[in-house]
Order: sequence, then structure tokens, then C-alpha cells
Amino acid sequence: MAVTTRLTWKEEKSLQQLLGNVSLRLLYKSRVHGDSPENMLRKCALQGSTITVIYFHNSQQDCILGYLTVIDYDFIKPKVFFYSSFEKDETSKTKAACLNTTQKITDEELTFYSSDNKIFSVIPKNSRLFIHDALRERLGLNLYRDFKYSEWKVFRLEGIKDVAGYVSNRTRATERRNELLEDLRAYKPYADLVSEIRILLLGPVGSGKSSFFNSVKSVFQGHVTRQAAVGADLTSITELYRVYPIKDGEDGKSLSFMLCDSMGLDEKKGAGLCLDDIPYILKGCIPDRYQFSPHKPVTPSHPTFITSPSLKERIHCVAYVLDINSISNLSSNMVAKLKQVHKEVLNCGIAHVALLTKVNNYDEVLQDDLLNMNKSMTSKTQVMNIQRMLNIPISNILMVENYASELTLNPLKEVLILSVLKQMLRAADDFLQDLPEKTDEIANFQLCM
Amino acid sequence: MAVTTCLTWMQEKILQNHFGGKFNLLYKASVHKFSLEHLLQKYEFGIDLTGRKLHISANTSKELGLLQCESISFEECEVFRCEDILNKRKMEEVTELRESLWSSMRTYKPYGDLVHQIRILLLGPIGAGKSSFVNSVKSVFQGRVVHQALVGSDTTGISQKYRTYSIKDEKDGNSLPFILCDSLGLGEEEEGLCMDDIPQILKGHISDRYQFNPMKPITPGHDNYVDSPLLKDRIHCAAFVFNVNCIEYLSDEMVAKIRRVRRKLIECGLVHLVLLTHVDSMDLITKDDLIDIYRCPPVKSQLEAVHKALGFPLSDILLVSNYTSEWELDPLKDNLILFALRHMLGAADDFLEDLPLEETREMLLAV
Repeated sequence: MAVTTRLTWKEEKSLQQLLGNVSLRLLYKSRVHGDSPENMLRKCALQGSTITVIYFHNSQQDCILGYLTVIDYDFIKPKVFFYSSFEKDETSKTKAACLNTTQKITDEELTFYSSDNKIFSVIPKNSRLFIHDALRERLGLNLYRDFKYSEWKVFRLEGIKDVAGYVSNRTRATERRNELLEDLRAYKPYADLVSEIRILLLGPVGSGKSSFFNSVKSVFQGHVTRQAAVGADLTSITELYRVYPIKDGEDGKSLSFMLCDSMGLDEKKGAGLCLDDIPYILKGCIPDRYQFSPHKPVTPSHPTFITSPSLKERIHCVAYVLDINSISNLSSNMVAKLKQVHKEVLNCGIAHVALLTKVNNYDEVLQDDLLNMNKSMTSKTQVMNIQRMLNIPISNILMVENYASELTLNPLKEVLILSVLKQMLRAADDFLQDLPEKTDEIANFQLCM
Repeated sequence: MAVTTCLTWMQEKILQNHFGGKFNLLYKASVHKFSLEHLLQKYEFGIDLTGRKLHISANTSKELGLLQCESISFEECEVFRCEDILNKRKMEEVTELRESLWSSMRTYKPYGDLVHQIRILLLGPIGAGKSSFVNSVKSVFQGRVVHQALVGSDTTGISQKYRTYSIKDEKDGNSLPFILCDSLGLGEEEEGLCMDDIPQILKGHISDRYQFNPMKPITPGHDNYVDSPLLKDRIHCAAFVFNVNCIEYLSDEMVAKIRRVRRKLIECGLVHLVLLTHVDSMDLITKDDLIDIYRCPPVKSQLEAVHKALGFPLSDILLVSNYTSEWELDPLKDNLILFALRHMLGAADDFLEDLPLEETREMLLAV
């Protein structure tokens, strides 16, 4: 009997969904090292954060259940996370719950207490497990209170620095992401005035406008997509005006919002998006796939020009997309251009937010409260800069990290992307609510624009 | 105080390449206490843990090329267990992953069933490994190493003809849902693929076996000119192929040329990716790194270099190792190739989804 693991590749992958890219080192195996808590303790002392995996059999299924003991500096009270995982028709799902517990080890059993209640214990004498009802419910286990296990093992976690922070962020982020996804799928614009909210992305060349669209699409599709061409070049990669509908990856239905991607603003005159085009974009006169020309703004005589756009064709929310790392280096020309654009937007009375991209320390941004993004000290100065420059309320200055550098999805990034979207839709709702009430007045309002 | 090693990735890699195995940290002096027992006690070589000193005999230190010194004081002492990285369990995982990638390839259907097969165009400098990639893909699905496309290293580009390769799955004999299109390499100045030919290739005007002429682009009326190509004839996804070790040596002219080609692709609304070949011949990279190649520090820095030099976003860069010198298939290489193909097909889906509805309808009606 060698000290090798029985975890299959799939099981290890499903654990990595919970833990991120860690490597697991087997420390203790009950069948080899003797099935007793004392032996386990001897093998696993001083090894840092560990994860315990218990194997059992439940209605013809091999299941795993376990807990994570995270030790940072406080050796007495380890933080414990419980999780369970099943394999059903090749799709394995991992569920996790975070509890503050105290651990007690005797010769015969290993027990966890949460506020004096015995919630979980391993009894090697007769190879049985005990799980409290409340915990069973949270893990979605449909088992008896105690049952037989076949083996248990302890692994050491390697490859991440702050294990406790990482795992709690990740489990919370996954829960939060699912909530936000549900919210956005169910979202309907205010009073059903329009079927889809149009969000316009404006900003300097290379600030990540098209990447933001790709990121949003990736979240809803469940894998990294690259529909819009992105990248770095001297002039804007995007030269067409694009209106992207977004489909839900699960049922293929279109969601109630669209992202409108424009050409980047250039600090040089006669390059990038032409400022005279902006009022037309805002009013909805410019169609999908319009080819921008930096020298020549669109005129009403253009063949595809929409002469009398309705409420649903106009822009309901504008997002100024800016690279957080370059805010302090924006040239005076660019700032002047942005201010001019902002004036146009205010003239039309459209809702607006600022979107700061390339936030590398998104863990930090998410740390305190998953929605309150402005707590982070490092980005605070940049937020203040934007607020001074464009006079946008701090609550409407949002931050994201786009999917432009990874091939796999990350729940932390997704929470940021989805919360940002939600905030944009709220702003758009405010705009719709602010419109004159009667329908004929809305029509008039459009005519006079 | 955790049981993690102080070795950097580089140091560990150099040791691993020397001894050929993986290390598993078992003992760390500062964590497990500097105990009284001597870890290793021989006349030639001794470690004194209490005094934190290393004793080496004069002969040994001479052999190791150390400075003549009887005892060296140290700060930390770590003991590792040597393991074989590509052990049975790891290889089982790799094979399992290959099976799942392969079956996802078999069940793949292009977006909205607009076409039957996705056309993937390979572009890149001469000798980057475009034709080798065709051969490698073919090898994976044929179950043996094949050399159908002519491969070699010449300065003018071996592939003078435009070739499209439809590949059959050896298990069920069906054609796979993609066609690889191999073009003439991009060369310096007037050599290689003619820039004006690129839009023609993308739109599907050029048919299989067209003889390229670096000086003269194709004109309507040529035998190989397709007058009104359908959606199924055009390119759905392009891949720029580069040798990962030659990124620094690309001339300014070539970089400018690639940027121009990229502009053309964007104008045509085509989705494109980057494929870096020869990853196995990078410094310090050994065969076992191919399991998780995207996470190796030297590879990461190379991806950054590509991003800086050519402006492609990091998530659009894929890594492969072609079958050029092997006689037998290697599941690790297979996985990289299948993974890259999977992403190309995903990109083609994005392209098909992006097509204007009216245009697609017209093109489908024409069918």
C-alpha cells in the first residue's frame, strides 16, 4: 500500500474549482497510516493549511466530502470550510459552506463544534461520520445523520499565499456571481418602456471598450469569447459602430440589454472618433456596423442614417471607459475631449457612469464588501481624479478587470463585471424614470431632439 | 511559517532538469526545528543542524568547484522526496483529458449550423510551422505521425501552393468539422505571400492548389478564381503562426507587415488568434511542463513579449508543440493541439454569430 491518492483527475479538478489552482500533497491516508485521529495529527502537524477528504458510497455513487482547515498564524482556531462533491453523469458539482468552528481531538474521534453544538465528527472506531442537520442541508446532502465512510485522507495545500482569504473570497464570489446572474437574467427595463437597454461605451483608444463587451459575453456564455477584435495598436482597432446583443448561454435567449461599442477617442486632432458623431450616436441615428471616419462626421444624408429614431434606438446609458493606470497621464487634449463629450451627454440628459478597467488588484477591490468597490485605497486617488475631471458621483465610478489575459473564467472577475453591469442598468432605469410621463410627450421629446 | 520551499521556480527547474524528477518538500529546518540529530553524517560531507554549518572535505569541494572552505554556514535546509512527474496516474489524467477534448471535437457543430465545416486560415512568417501544424493536427486524428504537407526550412517558403486540408477521423471515418487552409509564408519585402491576395483568400475567391505568385496577386479570370464564393467557402477563423523562440528576432518590417495583415482581418470582421509553435524547445522547458504549459514563468514572459511586440491580447495567444521529429504520438502534445483547435472553433463560432443577419440569409439562400 503506497502513499498515493485515490482522487481522480476529475475530482481534483472539481476541488480546484473551489480552491483555485492549488496543488495537493498527500500527507495522511487512513488505510496506510492507521485510522486514528492521533496518527493523523502526528502526520499533519506543522504542515500549514490542509484539506481533508472523506470517501463514502451513497446510492451507487462514489461521493467525497471534506473540510478545509486553514491556518494562518492563529494555530488555535483554524477556519474551517466544509464542502461536498458528487459525480452525477460526469458532471460534478461542488458545494461549500463556511463555518466558524472549534476542533476537538480525542483518541476515538475528531469533532467540530460550532457554538457548543456538535456539527461534524469522524469516528474511526466503527468508520462512521456524523453530520448535523443544518450542515447537511447547506451542502445539499440527502443522507442519514450518520453513515459509514470507506477512507479518509489529508492533503497539504500548496501554491497560494493567503489561503483563508482566497477560499472565502472565492466561495463568496461564486455565490454572489450566481445571484447576480439570476438578477440580470430576470432584469426588465423600467415600466417596459423599451425592450432592451442600450449602453454606449466611450473612451480613449485601447482603454478596453471592446474587451468589456467580450468579458460580458464570456460571463454569460460560460467560456472566454472573442467576438470583438481587441488588442493594442497606435490607432483604434475598432472602426465600426457595433451594437451587440447579448445571449444567455443556458437557454440562448437575448438578454434585456445591448452594448454599443464605438471607435476610441484619440488625443490627436483628426484621429479616432469624431466628436461631431457623438450627438447622433446618443440619439440613435447611427445604425449598427456604421464605418466611422475620423475626418468626416456622419450627416443626415448618409444612406443608412436613421432620421427619426424611437426611444428604443437611442442610448440609455453612457459608460466612459478609462484605463485606471493611465488616468494620471491623460493628455490635456484628451481631457478636453472627454469634457466636451460629457457636455453632450449632459445636454441629452442621458445616464452616465465611469468604468475603470485593468484593475489588477481586484481581490483587494472585492475584499470588504462584494458590491462596495471603492474601499480600496490604491484606487481611491484615481476615483477622486475622475470625479474631479468629469464630475461623476463616486457611486457611479465602477471598476472591472477584463478577460483579455486569461483562457479560463474566474468568479472574482465575474462578480466585478456583473456588478458593474447591474449598476449601469440601474442608471439607465433612472434615466427612463426621468422621462416625461405621457407617451405623446415622449414622442414630442424625441421630435425636438 | 508554512512548509513551502524557498527555492524559486528557476532554481527548482534547474535542479529538476539535472536530476530528472519532481521534488516534494518533506522537511524544512526552520519549520520542523533545527533538531540535534545530524541529517547526514559522512566524512566527505556533513550537515551540522545545531550549528547551522556545512562540512565538506577538501576533495569534494574541489570537485564541486566550491571555494576552498572547510565549513560553510547556512540559513535553511530543506529535504525533498524525488518523484517521477509523468507517473502512471498523471498519464492517466492526460489520456482522460485527451479523450474529453477529442469527443468535444467530434460533437462540435458550427454556430447555428450555418456551415458544415469551419475554415481555419494559417498565416505567418516563412518557416513558422504552419504546414507542420497541419501535419500535427492530421497526426492526432490519424493516430500516427503523418507528413502530408511538405515541411522544411528554406528562406523562400516551401508551400508555394494554397492548400486546403479536410481531415478524417480515423476512428469513424467521418470528416472533422474543420478545414485547415495553408498559405504561403509572409516574407521580407517582396518575398512570400502577396498582401493583395489576403482579402481574396479571406472571402473565398481562391480555390485549393492555387499557385502563389509573390509578385502578382490573383485576378478574376484565373483558373483558380472563384467568382461568387458562398459562406462555406470563406475563411471563418485565422491563426497567426509564430515560432515562440523567434519573436525577438522578427524584423521591424515583418512586424509592420503583420500589423497590416491584422488590420485587413479586422476590416473583414474576421476573428483571429495567435499560435506559438516550438514551445518544447524553449529554455528550461522540459516535456513534463507541457501538462500545464500556460503557467510556466518563461512561457508567461514570452506571451507578454508577443503582446508588446504585436499587440495581440494575451487571451488570444495559444501554445502548441508540433510533430516534427517524433515517430510516435505523445498525448501531451496531442492535448495542446486539441486545446488550440478547440479555441479556434470557438473563435469561428464568435465570427459566425457576429455576421449580419441579412447577409447570412442571402448567402444561405444562394446555397
